[in-house]
Amino acid sequence: MTGPGARGAELEALEVDLLLEGVARQWGFDLRSRSRPQLLRRLRHHLREERLDSFSALQARVLHDAEALDALLRTLSCTPPALFAETAFFRDFRARVVPVLRTWPSVRVWHAGCGTGEDTYALAILLQEEGLWGKCRLYASDASEGLLADARTGVLPLPTQEDADRYLEAGGKGALADYYTRDGNWALLQPRLRDRIFFTQHNLATDGSFNEFHVIVCRDTLLTFNRALHDHIHGRLFESLARFGFLCLGRKESLARTPHAGAYELLEDRGRIFRRVA
Amino acid sequence: MSPLGLLVVGAPRCAAADVESVLALLPPHLPVPVVLALHRGALDALAAPLGRRCALPVVEPDDKDPLLPGAVYLAPAGYHLLVDRGCVSLSVEPPEHGQRPGLDALFESAADSHGPRAAGLLFAGHEDGVAGLQVLQASGARVAVVSALQTGGEGEEGEMEQLTLGSVGGWLARLAYVPRSKVLP
Repeated sequence: MTGPGARGAELEALEVDLLLEGVARQWGFDLRSRSRPQLLRRLRHHLREERLDSFSALQARVLHDAEALDALLRTLSCTPPALFAETAFFRDFRARVVPVLRTWPSVRVWHAGCGTGEDTYALAILLQEEGLWGKCRLYASDASEGLLADARTGVLPLPTQEDADRYLEAGGKGALADYYTRDGNWALLQPRLRDRIFFTQHNLATDGSFNEFHVIVCRDTLLTFNRALHDHIHGRLFESLARFGFLCLGRKESLARTPHAGAYELLEDRGRIFRRVA
Repeated sequence: MSPLGLLVVGAPRCAAADVESVLALLPPHLPVPVVLALHRGALDALAAPLGRRCALPVVEPDDKDPLLPGAVYLAPAGYHLLVDRGCVSLSVEPPEHGQRPGLDALFESAADSHGPRAAGLLFAGHEDGVAGLQVLQASGARVAVVSALQTGGEGEEGEMEQLTLGSVGGWLARLAYVPRSKVLP
């Protein structure tokens, strides 16, 4: 039995495939290796936001207009909306990773898939509070230039009381307000944080390893990719991580069934911080 | 009718106890995976209480875990749970109707990946899930709405089958029906 929506669904699938093919050939962004259900949902959401009737109409716009492509990539990315969005991770990082970093002369940290930078700045605040900022180089990368441009400004929506509470819950040692100056409804993060973060355009799907790092933070970024690309990227991350370095994933991401799973050891039984041991 | 490949269940927070009773009705040798999204807060422990009376294991899957028959996959706190053919896919898209995990998200993905091979069950009581269940129904899936009280008439869910806690067991049995020779030794 096929439902009344089945033919519409076939046509929609065709239009989506054509759109993705077009974007890949025109702009070099291959979205075909994305997690399909999530991609379809984000694309439909984008269609509604843009008030378009079909993916064919969206395709016409995106092929001719770089800004339309940028808007599309923005919809597809899902950055945490606030500083210290996941307190447990930052607490675990302080407890388990920071003590080891203290013993190393210099530390290179890579935040892969930084989006608009909320987690990057939270990490920078943490490293500064732990006295590691002086010997750390923090690299933050994303595939989208538009998102990176936002991240580089160091301007965020003004943190709420809830954000300040989460900062303390994450082990914050001062007050969140110490790290920004208020400008109306916006917060300008301190230049000493912003200026020492190296924001760089890097597409996990296509670009290779660009340095060796002691810590790689890649949290909930790989959820958007399908299994094949997810495993491929884990290969790149493995190549980029120094031996005894740390790989920090999202709370429900796992290394099971990835090619280098055997080379890592899980640190926490709650969070997902792995240490490369081989 | 296409053979069943997936059962998706969505429920608002107020129906958690009803979900527990319905999970207890699932046969131990259910030939399909069950995927469950239940509205929840960040700190609710749900898998253990829901699994207490259920014959099947109730697990909170990691991203990209395979979907296996005879297990209940519960959406973890803070993530939308989607299905992608043979595996789950977690997502940190923004909350919908103020909820993450969301019910519409799960139903929509089931419509995309399984269509007529899916069956959907929604526990009434929240606006989230209604639109998703309609999409799932339009894709050819068997769907039904469970209400605590017998509503009698057909409300906003239109032509969807209406069930009560008393009649949902029969619906599940019909759904999971396979010729006896395949079940019994």
